Amino acid sequence: MPTGPYGALLDAVRGVRWPAARRVMGATLGAHPSQLRGNSSEFSEFRPYRQGDDPRRVDWRLLARSDRAYVRLTTDRATFRTSMIVDASASMAFPLPQLDKWRLARELAVGLASVAHAEADPVGLAIAGAGQAVLAPRARRSVLLEMMRALDATTPAGSTALAPFVTSARASRLVVITDLLGDFDDLLAAARLRVASGSEVIVVHIVADEELDPPGGALLAVDPEAPQLRRILNGDLRAAYREAFMRWLDDTSTALRAAGVRYVRATTGEPAPHLVRRIAGETARRGA
Amino acid sequence: MSFLAPWAFAIAGIAAAGMVVLHLVARQRPAAFLLPTTRFIPDQRTLVSRAATRPRDLVLLALRVLLLLSAGAAFARPVVTPRRGSMSRIVLVDRSRAVASVTEATEKAKALLSDGVPTTLIAFDSMPHVLTPTALDSLASVPRSAAIGSLSAALIAARRASALLAESTDSIQLVLVSPVAASEIDSATRRLRAEWPGAIRIERLALRADSSAVWTLQTQLPADDQLGPAMMSSAPGAGVVVTRLVRAMATAADSAFARNGGTVVRWDSTAAVRPVAEGLAVGDEVIVAALGRRAMSTNGEVVARWADGTAAATEARVGSGCLRDVGVTIPAAGDLALHPPFQRIVRTLLTPCGVAAAERSADSVALAWLGGATTNAAQASTLRDADVRPSPLARWLLGIAMLLALVELAVRTRREPEEA
Repeated sequence: MPTGPYGALLDAVRGVRWPAARRVMGATLGAHPSQLRGNSSEFSEFRPYRQGDDPRRVDWRLLARSDRAYVRLTTDRATFRTSMIVDASASMAFPLPQLDKWRLARELAVGLASVAHAEADPVGLAIAGAGQAVLAPRARRSVLLEMMRALDATTPAGSTALAPFVTSARASRLVVITDLLGDFDDLLAAARLRVASGSEVIVVHIVADEELDPPGGALLAVDPEAPQLRRILNGDLRAAYREAFMRWLDDTSTALRAAGVRYVRATTGEPAPHLVRRIAGETARRGA
Repeated sequence: MSFLAPWAFAIAGIAAAGMVVLHLVARQRPAAFLLPTTRFIPDQRTLVSRAATRPRDLVLLALRVLLLLSAGAAFARPVVTPRRGSMSRIVLVDRSRAVASVTEATEKAKALLSDGVPTTLIAFDSMPHVLTPTALDSLASVPRSAAIGSLSAALIAARRASALLAESTDSIQLVLVSPVAASEIDSATRRLRAEWPGAIRIERLALRADSSAVWTLQTQLPADDQLGPAMMSSAPGAGVVVTRLVRAMATAADSAFARNGGTVVRWDSTAAVRPVAEGLAVGDEVIVAALGRRAMSTNGEVVARWADGTAAATEARVGSGCLRDVGVTIPAAGDLALHPPFQRIVRTLLTPCGVAAAERSADSVALAWLGGATTNAAQASTLRDADVRPSPLARWLLGIAMLLALVELAVRTRREPEEA
């Protein structure tokens, strides 16, 4: 499979497991523990037979030894539909000209999708930008390639709301890769609803190093999504800016976590494979 | 090149220097930087003062400085002063009827051209004509003009030509190639001569053969005759051709005189006619004065006419002579007879039949004031127009300034989106 610039990333995340944080609902055989108990080969426990149970699940040997009827309970495993929602607004095209935020967002989307796809989970993609693209979750082999093409063909521009994508995503695990500089309140409300309905929502907050520490000297800062917003940033205002920005980062993470959303902050200086492992690994620890 | 309003250029220079200083040490808007987290910057002033450590927008600076200097130079009214030679010359060549030989006049003019001094040639009779040096040869082949020469017209033409020459020379020599006949001097000549600030070098030509020496005026006028003063300038000589002036009816003896080859001019003064304003033309001479019309014979050739075209004097052949009848009466009061134009008319009317009108050289007094008291050429500075006109360079400079303003606007407009 031609993977282009993502080859090294895919090699680096090969073997990484990304289990669901909770038992998943679903009948399709997969890698994640299911909320359903069935007749798989993975024994879990015995339970006294109740009227209505399938007689084929009765453990006849135990009945013969104890003269009591027990049924064998096994743990089912199911697939976990995962969707990547990638923010492609103008604020992601930063810093110029290398666009580190957008590069990291693309690599995280592909890396996490490849990890999920390796566990036979259907993966999908929604690009929220000037040129919107939605790929429904699929488990077929070519889905990763389609995602790469869609991401490579996108240039961050404009200002698009993420909340509708969160609301309408046809997946149980949503990974929202964004800088949270758009419709944060709406996004938080939509994520809260999805969490309440049993979905797993992960927000990967992309923060550029230049946002944490803008270039020195006086400069006229211009908001790429609202060009009329122009402010001077010089030595006197730098500390105030940094303090406001850090306070906002804390507030957003607190609000998201309070809503049951898993919040992961990703700075552009951190390698994408490391971030993928961190996101998947943390999930594994939480799942364990 | 000099400026008529140098203060305008000085102001522009100061403004340009100020602009350079402002450009280097001005309150500048810092470079624009796209920052998605701009909203977290406190909203304060949008301009900061800073001295430019490395000059920016040098093209814009150069355009603005050039714009200011061009506009300042245009408003300073630049005057381009051409390189001046030491001396120029104006030669007035007479070709009027007073000249004996036009060839002699052209030869003298050619001699003046040979020394290499830049020369403007003006040929004149009653009207001046500016000639090119190559036209001088063709002038020699043109017959002498029949018109009376006018030194006044020639001096006016010389004065006009000098205004142009004065821009490119330091001094101007005026040369008059003329016989300087008395008929060429009128009442304006002396005043016009006074307008010329230097000497006039006079190259005398031979006067056309004067017929006054070959005819005699035979008359006996009373002391109070009005024609007396008018005839004072005629001064005929003692030639064999005789004109007899008759102030009453012609007698048989007068007719016999005419038949024998004489000229009888009957200028009757006995008729009492009330004078009114009339125009009278005899040859090239025209006067307007209070004159009376007398009934006269219409036989013969008309030699003088009133302004309405009717005959004022006629001339008829009688035997081998002629009889001239003049129907012009002169008012008893007035100074008409003292006026030179009228005196010339009288002289023409008294000239014997078949004899051309006589020319008389100007007297020594006239020649003296015509030549002037000094021998120096006229200083060009005194001949230049008082109203110095700025050169067309001012308009070009203003156009360049406007063009620079448009270019500056285009460059500035192109730069602003980049900064945004």
